[in-house]
Amino acid sequence: MIDLIEVFDRAETGPLTSETDYYMKRFVPKLTEVIGRHGVKWDKQTIINTDDALTDAVFEAAVDLIAEAGAYCPETNRVMQFTREEIEIANRECPTSATFGEGRERKTMYGRRPDTTDDRPWVHVGGGIYTTDEQVYVDTVEKMASYNIVDSVSVPSILHLRGKDARVRSPQEILAATKTVRLAREGIRRSGRAGMPIINGISAASQPASMFAASYPDFGLRPSDGFLIDFLSEMVVGYEALQKVAFYNSISANIGSTSTPLFGGYAGGAEGVAVQATAYMIMGNLIFRGSYHYNAPLHSKLHLSSTKPLIWAIAMSNAAIGRNMQYPMVNLPYLGGGSGTKQYHYEMACYMLAVVTSGGNVFSGHPAMAVQPDSLVPDDHKFHAEMGLAAAKLTRAEAEPIAQKLFPLFGDKLKDPDKGLTFQEVYDMQTKRIKNAEYQKVMDDVREELAGMGLEVPVS
Amino acid sequence: MADADHFDKLKQAIIDQDEDAVLAAVDAALADGIGAKTVIDQGLLPGLNVIGQQFEDEEIFLPELMQAALAFQAAMTVLEPKIKEEGAGADKKGIVVLGTVKGDLHSIGKNILKLLYETSGFEVYDLGIDVDLFSFINKAKEVNADIIAMSALLTTTLVGQRDVIDALKDAGERDKYKVLIGGGATTKEWADTIGADGWAATAYEAVTISTKLVS
Repeated sequence: MIDLIEVFDRAETGPLTSETDYYMKRFVPKLTEVIGRHGVKWDKQTIINTDDALTDAVFEAAVDLIAEAGAYCPETNRVMQFTREEIEIANRECPTSATFGEGRERKTMYGRRPDTTDDRPWVHVGGGIYTTDEQVYVDTVEKMASYNIVDSVSVPSILHLRGKDARVRSPQEILAATKTVRLAREGIRRSGRAGMPIINGISAASQPASMFAASYPDFGLRPSDGFLIDFLSEMVVGYEALQKVAFYNSISANIGSTSTPLFGGYAGGAEGVAVQATAYMIMGNLIFRGSYHYNAPLHSKLHLSSTKPLIWAIAMSNAAIGRNMQYPMVNLPYLGGGSGTKQYHYEMACYMLAVVTSGGNVFSGHPAMAVQPDSLVPDDHKFHAEMGLAAAKLTRAEAEPIAQKLFPLFGDKLKDPDKGLTFQEVYDMQTKRIKNAEYQKVMDDVREELAGMGLEVPVS
Repeated sequence: MADADHFDKLKQAIIDQDEDAVLAAVDAALADGIGAKTVIDQGLLPGLNVIGQQFEDEEIFLPELMQAALAFQAAMTVLEPKIKEEGAGADKKGIVVLGTVKGDLHSIGKNILKLLYETSGFEVYDLGIDVDLFSFINKAKEVNADIIAMSALLTTTLVGQRDVIDALKDAGERDKYKVLIGGGATTKEWADTIGADGWAATAYEAVTISTKLVS
């Protein structure tokens, strides 16, 4: 596999081109071409693909896309080019597991193959939702970390200092980032599982300086946590990302290569997103030297990932990587419904059935369209993790009819989703127990409905 | 060929995102004595309206939208000199200064909006990403803009939108421009808090609101 400095050099030596020309003369025509060349087609009905030949065609199309379009570095206006042979060698040498955490909480996430029903996938919960209050922040993290089935957490963000939100690139952003890490680690310690990894580090940092500052060990993060490095937009590899790659590789930290291909953006529709998402995972290993991948495709207008074509594309990308590389993956579900709503749980069940049976690990949902501050409600995430573990016992073929039953329950509501609840509306702030009987009832009802559809979700 | 047939060909060529066909249809219409402004108003813009609706309905996506816009721009390089010769001004809905605020490097949403503005008859000045607040204001002054439209995807960059509005107020120029905000981190509540004239959840909605703001 080509070494990291050689990768960085590709951003200095590739062909010069403007961003518009990169997209219109390289990326878009090549994406269209490779989709046609490999016969990638969505039938507009299927949610969970079971056709392995089509899955492998998506993978080959993704390799061709990288080899023929390259990535784009906006700082140098150059195309980062990689030969097919370089990509294939990197794919062969890709990590198939990543170890996180410390002490008793030190565990390994594996890359999974589609239709594996006899393993126990990695269980990750949480999300970087904005939090208004330090106590709520710590309580949220503590509750999530305390669930026995959970292997790692994504922690919320808290941006304000002395009542004011930190601005990007400001000194306050560095302090907000370090504060987030300290509070998160404190919440985890209070759960009694001090070694548990945080794998969305660092939620309050939007620039490398803040990430590096908050990575200082005294604040509580360790190389055995996970640090996210993202592609800025389709195939764009910016200097900020490469700076993070340089730093986190230098301290041998776990890197979560992260991508958000946009449905309706440069990648187009379902087929384009499936190929693009797969390409990102390949590039996450090749360019970022990731230990795992954070796959987060998103609808460009609805800002969620639970439309039918998107769930198909996300599941397809998991299966493509699962069959051909087994790079460890989690998928970030952006859901329409607000926390604690039936819509939210239906969306999560459908998404989980698709991605976990296709080779993804378990990652709980993130309210997107109906998101509001403090809407990370830990019991939602426990329920969603339980759904994921239940889905892991099914094959794609077994999961598809259940997903088809679920989709009509929320599909029409995605443009105007149900509003949800906040942490304070669900929990007694003294005992941290559920005080909202309706919240509990909704969850119990959905659990019963899922069982009726064929997805038994045992309470953990 | 009847004028109506020319308009149909122009419209269809735009819908097909076929730059060569657009240029051929423009040449044919001009050769038959149709005025350049009429070519735009009755041929190209109706085609762009269809493209905009197809994009909204998810029948086409950003690449097709860009292709249609490029075809339109190619036609305009032929038509603009003719319009000047004819002594007529091209109709435009309004002038927009557009960009992603300081500290924010995200561009796709902003690029989609730029294309929809252009295909809806607005004149757009795209300042790109990571735009300094005074760049918005100075460009708006320079081009006598109707609208300043700002995108912010990150929570930590939202304040950049407020800064522009505050700076306009400080300079006594707030009433000169309509300010529209959007982007992943924004909400209607945020728009109200900072005193923006409009907030849009999608690019298509932004164009609709902008049209109302300038009418």
